[in-house]
Order: sequence, then C-alpha cells, then structure tokens
Amino acid sequence: MTTKDRWIIWVFLTPAILLMGVMLYYPMVGTVVESFYDTSFISPEPEFVGWEIYEKVWNSRQFPEIVWNSVYWTVGVVLLQNVLGFFVAMLLNQGLPAQGLLRALVLLPFVLPGVVTAILWRFMYDPQLGLINSIMIRIGLYDDNAAWLADSSTAMAAVIFVAVWKGFPFSMLIYLAALHNVDKSQLEAATIDGAGPWRRLIDVTLPSIKEVIVVNVVLTLILTFNYFDIVWVMTRGGPQNATHIFPTRIFETGFGQFRFGEAAVYGVFSILILAVLVALYVIVQTGANKRRRTS
Amino acid sequence: MTLTPSSRALLILCQIALAVFVLLPFFWMLSVSLKPATEPFAIPARLWPENPTLENYVTAFRPEFRTYFLNSLIVSGASVAITVTLALLAAYSFARRTLLILTALMSLVVLAQMFPHSAIIIPIYKMMRAADLLNTYASLIIAYVSVTLPVAVWMLRGFLLKLPVSLEEAAAIDGAGPLRVFFEIVVPLARPGIIATGVYVLIVTWQEFLFALSFTSTKEMRTLPVGLNDFIGQYGIRYGELMASSVMVSLPVIAVFFFLQRYFVAGLTAGAVKG
Amino acid sequence: MKTLLTTAAVIAAVGTSAAAQTTLQFWDNQQTESGLSQFQQAAVDRFMAENPDITVEVTTIPYPEYQQRLLTAVQGGNAPDIATLDQIWVAAFAEAGAVADLTDFASSAGLSRDGFFGGAWDSAVVNDRLFGVPFNVDVWQFSFYNQDLLDAAGVDAASLTTFEGLRAAAEALTKDGQFGVGLFGHRGEDTVVVVNSFIFSNGGEVLNAAGECALDEPPAIEAMEYLQDLAQFAPDGILNANSGTMRELFLNGSLAIEFWPALEQPTLQSSDINWGFVNGTAGASGTAVGTFGGWNLAIFESSENKEAAQKFIEFMVREDVNGDVVDLIPANTAAAEAFLDANRSGPAEIMEHLGNAKPRPLSPRYLEVAEIQMTLFQDVFSGANVAEAATAACSDIDALN
Repeated sequence: MTTKDRWIIWVFLTPAILLMGVMLYYPMVGTVVESFYDTSFISPEPEFVGWEIYEKVWNSRQFPEIVWNSVYWTVGVVLLQNVLGFFVAMLLNQGLPAQGLLRALVLLPFVLPGVVTAILWRFMYDPQLGLINSIMIRIGLYDDNAAWLADSSTAMAAVIFVAVWKGFPFSMLIYLAALHNVDKSQLEAATIDGAGPWRRLIDVTLPSIKEVIVVNVVLTLILTFNYFDIVWVMTRGGPQNATHIFPTRIFETGFGQFRFGEAAVYGVFSILILAVLVALYVIVQTGANKRRRTS
Repeated sequence: MTLTPSSRALLILCQIALAVFVLLPFFWMLSVSLKPATEPFAIPARLWPENPTLENYVTAFRPEFRTYFLNSLIVSGASVAITVTLALLAAYSFARRTLLILTALMSLVVLAQMFPHSAIIIPIYKMMRAADLLNTYASLIIAYVSVTLPVAVWMLRGFLLKLPVSLEEAAAIDGAGPLRVFFEIVVPLARPGIIATGVYVLIVTWQEFLFALSFTSTKEMRTLPVGLNDFIGQYGIRYGELMASSVMVSLPVIAVFFFLQRYFVAGLTAGAVKG
Repeated sequence: MKTLLTTAAVIAAVGTSAAAQTTLQFWDNQQTESGLSQFQQAAVDRFMAENPDITVEVTTIPYPEYQQRLLTAVQGGNAPDIATLDQIWVAAFAEAGAVADLTDFASSAGLSRDGFFGGAWDSAVVNDRLFGVPFNVDVWQFSFYNQDLLDAAGVDAASLTTFEGLRAAAEALTKDGQFGVGLFGHRGEDTVVVVNSFIFSNGGEVLNAAGECALDEPPAIEAMEYLQDLAQFAPDGILNANSGTMRELFLNGSLAIEFWPALEQPTLQSSDINWGFVNGTAGASGTAVGTFGGWNLAIFESSENKEAAQKFIEFMVREDVNGDVVDLIPANTAAAEAFLDANRSGPAEIMEHLGNAKPRPLSPRYLEVAEIQMTLFQDVFSGANVAEAATAACSDIDALN
C-alpha cells in the first residue's frame, strides 16, 4: 500500500471499532463501575462501596470452588476438543471410503442448539432412564446405576464430555483445512527417510500447522470459558457447586437473585482469570517454540 | 500415500467408532421423537420405541416452528455476512500497518472477546430499547455482529498476516487503487479465512440463547433455540415433541453440509497458505 | 373553508377515539404443556368484548425463561402493563418499586382476603400494602401413589400420611429395580418446596416470626434428618433429579410414590397407571402442612394504563372467569371449588391441603434465602451432618440482613 493510500485503513477500521466501542466497551465499563456499587434489584439506589463486594466475593466459600471449576472445565474441554478434533481431521483426510459422508455427519453436534444438547444428554445420563447406563449394563461393563451428573466426583467430567462432543467438529474443521496445507513432498521425503506415521506427525505435520493450533486453542479457550447453556441446563452448577463456573454464577447472581453489583464483580473476576489463562497458554507456547528452535 | 491393508482396516474401525460416538445421541433423539406420548420410558432404556409414531412431528411442525426456523436463518445469515465484512475490513488494517495505536486497539479487541455476555446484556438491552429496536431482527443482528466481531477480526488478521504482500504491492505499482487492491487481490486470497470465520459466526449465532431470549418478545420474532423452549414447562418436559423439533432442525443442516462439504473444505483450503 | 373545518373535525374525532383505545400488554408464564393459552385467549376475547375500548395483547413465556425476561424488561424500562408474578418474586418486585400498590384498588373493587386462599393473598402483601392479586395457587406436595405397587407390597395408602408410615412404606416398596419414594434434590425451587413441607409438617419453619433463620431449630433438623434417611429408598442420582424425572419413573411403573402438586393430575389421568393420592406427610405437628405455590397478577409501576389494567385483573379473578384461565387451581376460592369439582379427583382433600398450606418466606431477599436452602439440602442429601450444615446455612441466611 502506498503512503498516500494509507487513509483507507482508518475508513476500514471505523465501523468495527465503533460497533465494539458502543456495544461491548460501553456496557462493560458500566459493569465495572457497577461492581464498586452495592446495587441490586431491590435497592436500585446504588451506594458506593469501593472494593467491599470484591472482598466479599474473594473471601466467600464458593469463590475458590468457582475458580477451580472454571479452570478445570476450560482446560478439560479445550484439551480434549483440540486433540480429538485434530485426530478426527487426520482420520478424515486419508481418502478412506465414506469420508465425505462422515465429514458432513461429524458436524451434526454443532448445529444442535446448546439447550437441546443439554436436555438430550441429561436424559442420556439419567441413572435409570438413560441410554448410557442401559448400554453399559447390556454389554456387562457395569451393573449398577451410575448417577453421572448427581455425583460430585463425576459431574464435571460428564459435562466436559458433552461440551467436547458438541465442540470438536469446529476444531476438526479448522484442522482439516490446515492439514491440506501441509507440504506433501516433505511428508514423502520423511517416509523415504524411514519415518513412521508417528515421526511424520511429530516432525512434519505438527510443526507446519502450529499457528493453526495456537489460533484454535485460544479460540476454544475463550468460547469455552464463557460457555453457559450446557452446564446451566444440565446441572445448574450442582451438585453442591461441583460444576458451578463463572458464567453460571454470574447468571445465577444477576438474573436468579437480582444482585447486580455482585454479578458485576464476578464478571470482572471472570475476565481477569480468562486473560490469565490465555496469557499463560501463549507464554508456554512461545517458550516451547523457542526450545524447539534452539534444540 | 498408500496404506497397508491392516492399517487401513484399523482406520476404518476408527471411522466406525467416530460415527457411533457422534450419532448415538442423535439416534436416541430420533427414537424418543418417534415414541408416542402415552408410551412410558422403559428401564433400561429401549433403543427403539414399541409403537413408533409420527404424531410428535405433526405437533412439532407447527406454523411457529417454521417461523422460528426462518428467523434463525435470517438472523444468522445476516450476522455472518455483516460480521465477516466488517471484520475483514478491520483485520486488513490491523494486518497491513504497524502503528502503536493499532497495536493498542488490537489488544482492546482481544480483550473484548473475553467479556461475559450475561454481564453486559442489561446495558445493551437499554440501548436497544432507546433505539426502539426491541423485538426486531435488527436488535439481534446488531448484538450478534458486536459479540462475534472481536474473534472474527482476530481470526482474519491471522489469515491476512500470512498472505504474501508482494501481490498487493505489484498491483499498487501497476496503478490499482487501494479499494481495487483490496477487492481484487485480498478478498479472493482470503477466502479460506473468510469461510472459517463465517463458520465460527454461524455456530455462535445459530445457537445463541441469552440475547435472543431477552430481545424478542413475540412468537413472530423468536429464533429456534428460544422457540424450542415451548416444550419445556416449569416442571416437566415434552420430550417427544422437543426431540421431533430437534430432528427437524438438524436434518436440513446435515443435508446442506453433505452437499456442500466438498466445496466447503475446498474453500477452506484454497489459496494453500503454507504454515 | 367549510370542508377544511369538517376535515379538522373528522381528524379530531378520529384522534380522540384512537386515544380512548387502550392497549394492555399482559405477560403470563406458560406453566405446563397444556393447551392453556387457547382458553386464555378465549377469556381475553371475552374481556375485550365487554370492554371495547381496551385491547389486550397476551405474551405467553415458557417458565425457564420467564424470570430473566421479566427482570430484563423491568431493568430496561420496558415492562408490560400486567404480568403474573411467582409468589416468591412479589416482595422483591414491590421493594424495587417495580409494581404498583393495589391496596386501594382492591378495596374499591371489593377484592379481599376472604375471597381468596389466605396464603396466596398474604404472599402479595408487603409491609401491609397489597402488590398483587392472587391468580392461581397449588400446594407442594401431594403424595401420588401407584395403587398396584402398593397392593403388591401390602401397603395401605392411608399409612403414607405420617413420617413413620411413609418410611415403612418406602422400605417395603423398594426392591428389584423398583423405588419406594420419588425424593429429588436438584438445585431448583421444587426441591425447596418439598423439603419445606416436611419441615412445616414437623412444626418447623424456614424463618421465624422475627425473620431469623429457623432451619437449625430441632423440628427442622429432625425433618431433614428424616429425609436424609428416606433418600435411601429414592432412585439413584437424586442430586440432579427433579420432579420431572420422578414423573417419568412414576409413569413407567418403577416408582411407587411421587411428590407433585395437584397440577400433576391431568398427566396421571391420561396414563395407564392406577393411581391415588394423599395430602403430604404429617410429622410431629400432627398435620400435613404443604408449601404454597402459585402466581399473582401485578400491575407495573411504569404502566400508563393502570385503570384499564385494574379492570383486567378484576375480570381475570372473577368467579366465572378465573377457572378458565389457569392450569393450577384458581386463587378465587369460589372458582376453585367449581374448578376442582370439574377437573380434579379428591377436590375436598385438595381444598383441605390448600387450607393448611404455608407460604415460603415473604422476604424481598427470598431468592437468596432459597439458594442457601438449596445448598443446604444438597448437603443433607449427600449425607452431611444435618445439624452442622443447618448451622452454616443459618449463619449465611442471617448474614443477608
């Protein structure tokens, strides 16, 4: 672009920046301001309380649980969804029969609305009526009624499983596209050098799609952290807070109990923690890349 | 690359496992949707109802359902088109110039994608009310474009950064104006990125619930995710009709993807950006 | 000139008649799966025929989204003119100044506590002022039983009405993949009302007269310990089970006793189950005391058509209308008797149970109290020491004020 044409970038930027400013930053700044006021539906006159609600939330019994659950949930879903998405993309990139049909069928979970997914799976998990226990009993894996969502030790894993089922097609699509861009001649050269499929994966495929991996991980990290429908409909954060994450807590506090100030505080904490997660990932990733380059 | 027969068999087994993993819940959804309302659920769960019937589909295929479906299509379609357009313009600016202010703006964009929706919905609602937009497609489209823009800008910027600048420079030297360079060189090259971003916007908006719930009040404006709640009472769920509706939501989309997937994957990979 | 004047006169006339036409926005919760909105529309049409200058637009909203949508609308300055409010929301909406004081309207319209179920009327009273008119009511819970399963186990239905009897029956009825009692404990209001009714029936309270937490008093602790023990005869996974789950188990014949309000009767009537019911379970108090549920009609402070809205409320709770527009039980007692006679089995028992029922705490912070209760009950059902859990819950509840 020549220097005299550079005005164009400002023209191009304005609509997006304006829209985000008005529709995202204006409300969010309002929410941050609200977090310093004790305001709720029943006492609409906001009273400035400084950091008081932050301290209250920070010291509450629930807070560490919610932080831990959110991290567990996010890391679990992101990890599994990306690993599964990647391997399914590899699988559906081998020119096997039925590849086209499978590529379409695999996308099914993501067109199903989240609320329906949650209701369907809550039913599948039902200890008595659900399909999962019925199959397990039939094939003799299990003869007792496991209560997947009602047990604090399995509930989080159960909701993560559903989120992965629903989310992996998206990761798969992106990986599928990236795999097409892997240099075929490099793969063939590696094969001639005697590299097995595993070595080819580590030495050729993964390095050549590493940017896509970063994009995919960060994207799913953000989407998952703020994902609300599945957990809310399946467990409402229970049993005993075992699946309570930031989005469910914000919703419950704000819309369920009408405590806007406190919901705002949870909102601010949630942005901070998500930002830390993303930053941590980027740091680890850059560190790993550097080590790879120097070694 | 040729596969040995044994590894080929193994991969086909993996494909079957994948199909079961993905389709089993849908199979059950279908099974529940065919179960007459009067037939109780069996213990242990039966894979297929005793007396399958289409009565749930008859009830579920109400005029409202068609309205919801159409609304979803309109809102998602418009959101995809607008978001991708605005995001591509912005992403191009972010990708082609390095200025301190742009770096700062980009960090703000990245930060904006972390805002939890339930924390910002009431102020947005108030704005929609002030603009007299409640219960219109516009309110949902504006909201959807806003919340999907940050990720879209960020994704497209990544794609554009990897495009070679040399083509654009060559065109500029040949006397092409900036708009022509953008529309004739950048847009076609960015097609895979545009498709990937479009899919992302589609996924998010197709199932969005919170805004759709708050901004629409009449049945005429509801989208599918909200409309399916018609079958959920305070204490009970009409599983048969809910699942019949869900099957009807899924079928056209599978069909579309099945016929388009070849084009779709090709589009994603066109331009062959070397990683 | 003459034509001009005539035109002006016509415009003026059109103008006034347009202004006289009032449009009311009425929001209602869609309680169940019944085709209620059809009947409601018929009643609304009748109202509009009686009041040609008023148009009513009804919006029916499924329950799961109702609270959030109403709250967003009120906060966004876009509330309807009239809405049905869950009994447990009225105090908060009144405290927030969102709904109008109806005290004077009620007395001039001749609406008084005598014409309605007392507990329902009380749920609309905040600081001695009335903020809603009871629309419909029900009571948690009736014990619906499967007669065939009871017969097979040799259990007499009458024995279900006491703590000891229910436990013995549940034990006898639990065997070979069959469950005795449909206790559930997910995080939801239906859990709260069922546990409350056991506490009430044992002479306990949630909040005492001074508004302090009474869940750590002996009657409440005893009732919760009783339920903790009873849970062994319930289906697996009660911490994520709700009344809907239990209904499905009851309908397929694997559950002997389920807890539901009278609202459950139409579902059971259309099933093949040979069913009956008794009124809750009496503990130390000697009487089964249920928990009130139901909806009140409220007018929003922001409404510009309060007078028309009052007319509409007066109409909806009228003896000859109330029964046609609800799927719970009409809150107007005269209408309720006719409704129960026509639509429910055991109308006398239902009336008796309604008469004994107690409301949930009428506090503007009820929703916060309820959340603490849900946490407590989940602790109880997962085997925690009841007294300790109750003490912790009470310190949380008392810290709210």
